[in-house]
Amino acid sequence: MHAIEAQGLTKRFGSIVAVDHLDLRVERGSIFGFLGPNGSGKSTCIRMFCGLLEPTEGRALVNGFDIVRQSEEIKRTIGYMNQSFSLYRDLTVKENLVFFGRIYGLSGGRLRARMAAVTELLELGPYADRRAADLSGGWRQRLALATALIHEPDLLFLDEPTSGIDPVARRELWNLLFHLAAQGRTLFVTTHYMDEAERCHTVGYLYLSRLIACGTPAELKALPCVSQTNVRMVSVAISSPALALAVLQDAPFTRSATLREAEVRLTIPTETPDSAVIAALEEAGLPGARVRSVEPSLEDVFVALAEEAGREDHHS
Amino acid sequence: MMRGYWSIFYKEILHLVRDPTYLVIALVIPMVQLTLFGFAIDFDVRHIATAVVDLDRSPESRRYIESLRNTQYLDPVALPATTDEAEDELRSGAVRVVVIVPPNFERHVLGHTVPQVRVLIDGSDSQVAMRAQMALLGGQRYRFPAHNIKDAGSGPGVKRLDTQPWPVDARVDVVFNPSMRTQIFMIPGLIGVIMQLVTIALTAFSIVRERELGTLEQLMVSPVGRLALIVGKVSPYALIALFEMVTVLYVGWTVFDVRIAGSVWLLLGMCIPFIVASLSLGLLISTFARNQAQALQFTLLITLPSILLSGFVFPRETMPGAIYLLSHVIPVTFFLNILRGIIVRGAGFVDLEPNFAALGVLSIVLLGAASARFRKTLA
Repeated sequence: MHAIEAQGLTKRFGSIVAVDHLDLRVERGSIFGFLGPNGSGKSTCIRMFCGLLEPTEGRALVNGFDIVRQSEEIKRTIGYMNQSFSLYRDLTVKENLVFFGRIYGLSGGRLRARMAAVTELLELGPYADRRAADLSGGWRQRLALATALIHEPDLLFLDEPTSGIDPVARRELWNLLFHLAAQGRTLFVTTHYMDEAERCHTVGYLYLSRLIACGTPAELKALPCVSQTNVRMVSVAISSPALALAVLQDAPFTRSATLREAEVRLTIPTETPDSAVIAALEEAGLPGARVRSVEPSLEDVFVALAEEAGREDHHS
Repeated sequence: MMRGYWSIFYKEILHLVRDPTYLVIALVIPMVQLTLFGFAIDFDVRHIATAVVDLDRSPESRRYIESLRNTQYLDPVALPATTDEAEDELRSGAVRVVVIVPPNFERHVLGHTVPQVRVLIDGSDSQVAMRAQMALLGGQRYRFPAHNIKDAGSGPGVKRLDTQPWPVDARVDVVFNPSMRTQIFMIPGLIGVIMQLVTIALTAFSIVRERELGTLEQLMVSPVGRLALIVGKVSPYALIALFEMVTVLYVGWTVFDVRIAGSVWLLLGMCIPFIVASLSLGLLISTFARNQAQALQFTLLITLPSILLSGFVFPRETMPGAIYLLSHVIPVTFFLNILRGIIVRGAGFVDLEPNFAALGVLSIVLLGAASARFRKTLA
């Protein structure tokens, strides 16, 4: 059984198609990265999986339960962590945990045991009596994760869990997510961070309401539209990368150009040698460039996919 | 100092155009309220519901009753057979005035003596009571129009009466709040209006706040029942409202000397459908308001007509038909009848049953509408 299995899942709001025939399988115990621009339909998908929204067409099973007929069963077996901190700020850490534990039907010794477990896992002990409003961003997210875990859900939906928290807290949160996945829980994560997408077992990319790619990061990088046979990707190191970008964007051989990690990343035809790039820059008065071949990153994958989808859309 | 004034001004105009709610609040609502209240508020109270006990049942007594109607101020809507029945109607609030025409009315008129009528006026609404008093005391100057007593002028000593004004001696008793104290009129009304305002605002704010924080969504993905969520959220506020009711009654009694003529328990029992209706209105507002500022505006939008149309200050007798009908969808209208009935007139359950039933229906309708909309806005 898969954690999520969707076939032809479609949601329309009036004439707007928010999710268009989504086919998706999420393995149990995996971390699934759900990516796509804002407004591409990610939230609508999650709301349907959580049983909050009925699909217009198609069907989906979450933890083996039908999202339309068995939404109550689904709610017991999933956890949900929202991008905005959606806990009671005027309640303490402990009070929030007790409240959400009770909402999920926990009580007595079971509730105490679960509270102790999540408090230990997320190291919330020292903050137990602090009000949620007085926690920093990273600790708030820990508390949110703790409440989402209080009823031991098999599947956890995390909607941009790391937006607005500092890099250290972000890394710690991801270490926790790995830990949870190792316990056999499934994590369904939306994010805009490419480094986070790289950490997922499987990545799905939603663009204009359609799932246009789904696979492991390595599989996505090997997609024909990304690793095209007649082009290659190079990184150009130079002292003034912004000026170089402006020059290279207008160069005849450039397919695409962008800045990354203070270098210019270029897609050029396979037959164009590195020397042609260096020559073009020298001609513009920018000497000293060093060119090396690079593998495409997930960002390149999504840009390529979006461009291809945009072209198809244009043609149809 | 004024650099950037026009850009700020222009930006504000853009906000107004983009968000229609602001425009509605700025333009439409004042117009609606102006029309509504312009028509609704009329201090010249007319058509006061009156019960007439005609113990004489003669052509003269009927003519006298007709002359009361012709004043436009009194509206004889009921003709009970006995004084007791008439007093019941007065206590229930169905009529504000009782006129008792004595059995010897015609004899007095024909015998050229001044007939006496007994008048009972409900003092719980001082404006109405005052106007009724004026209308009846002025009754001494009423003309008996177009007399056609068959044997008028035939008998010896009988003058022709047809064009003569004939005085009637109205003995007016203001029952319930006989001193016509303003507090006794105002405080029961104030209780209703305050209770409604507080209940609506508390409910609407508490739900809109959860929606703003995103905690409502967090609850929706949990297995918590919808009913448990709604009832669980509003019942603390219902308890607060009940507690407040007791407090206000106590303050009214100790500070303003407004005693409860009827049963306190009956009053507390009958305020339950009113609280349910008010909570439902709050719930309904929470489904429209996107933030707490809007919730406040919607609350005021409901509170203003509640103050003006419910009979709290302005007698509903003066309101034109459509507005009078509109006043029936405001819970506090019926609750005011109950409050004044029990506190001022000592009315019992039977007297106030229609108001209680109306509140019951209103609360069920409002709760149904609010729950349906609440359910929809959550998905």
